[in-house]
Amino acid sequence: MNSVGEACTDMKREYDQCFNRWFAEKFLKGDGSGDPCTDLFKRYQQCVQKAIKEKEIPIEGLEFMGHGKEKPENSS
Amino acid sequence: MKIWSSEHVLEHPWEMVTTAAMQKYPNPMNPRVVGVDVLDRHVDPSRKLHSHRLLSTEWGLPSIVKSTNISFTNMVSVDERLTYKQHPQDPEKTVLTQEAIITVKAVSLSSYLEGLMASSISSNANKGREAMEWVIHKLNTKIEDLAVSARGSIRTPMAAAAALVEKK
Repeated sequence: MNSVGEACTDMKREYDQCFNRWFAEKFLKGDGSGDPCTDLFKRYQQCVQKAIKEKEIPIEGLEFMGHGKEKPENSS
Repeated sequence: MKIWSSEHVLEHPWEMVTTAAMQKYPNPMNPRVVGVDVLDRHVDPSRKLHSHRLLSTEWGLPSIVKSTNISFTNMVSVDERLTYKQHPQDPEKTVLTQEAIITVKAVSLSSYLEGLMASSISSNANKGREAMEWVIHKLNTKIEDLAVSARGSIRTPMAAAAALVEKK
């Protein structure tokens, strides 16, 4: 699967692999502590945020569709 | 405003279903999803995992819309919520509840358009369920392959996790 930012796809896949492993082997077994993917996520995020700005994707605009309840935090 | 909802039972345990939901794309039933990105992710103090994701899709607006510069994104809103819960009577099954709230901000035609969108959502819901079955099958095949290569000595840990996981 690709990223919205072409340059971010490899970073995204590396992060996804790390997260999927942590999710199945740690989180689903009740161990939500410790995140081995933080560094990978940071690098990937920097790239994605840049791509979103460059493509002028209105992330804030998503709020018009939401009810405001239980919406996860938006880190943009 | 139109509300559409549906309930469906998946014959798989919750851990498998949520793992599949995290890896839903790509799949052959949703060719229009061309990108998935995580915008934010964290575990909150109550140990609930929050993921905020951006899906990039290609809908192929008809050229008449492009040429007349109508901005459908301001007129139509679809808010969809999918909830996967362990089946109350059978821990090997998962209940999927799907809800969509459709709002068309046009003066006329709104209830007609909302009805059209509800039908479209309903048929897409079937595709979505097929997609989940496809992803689950793929994950199960991967697990079986790993077990075979480890000479069958390790069983999938997912079933054992069921007792430990707090169900949403």
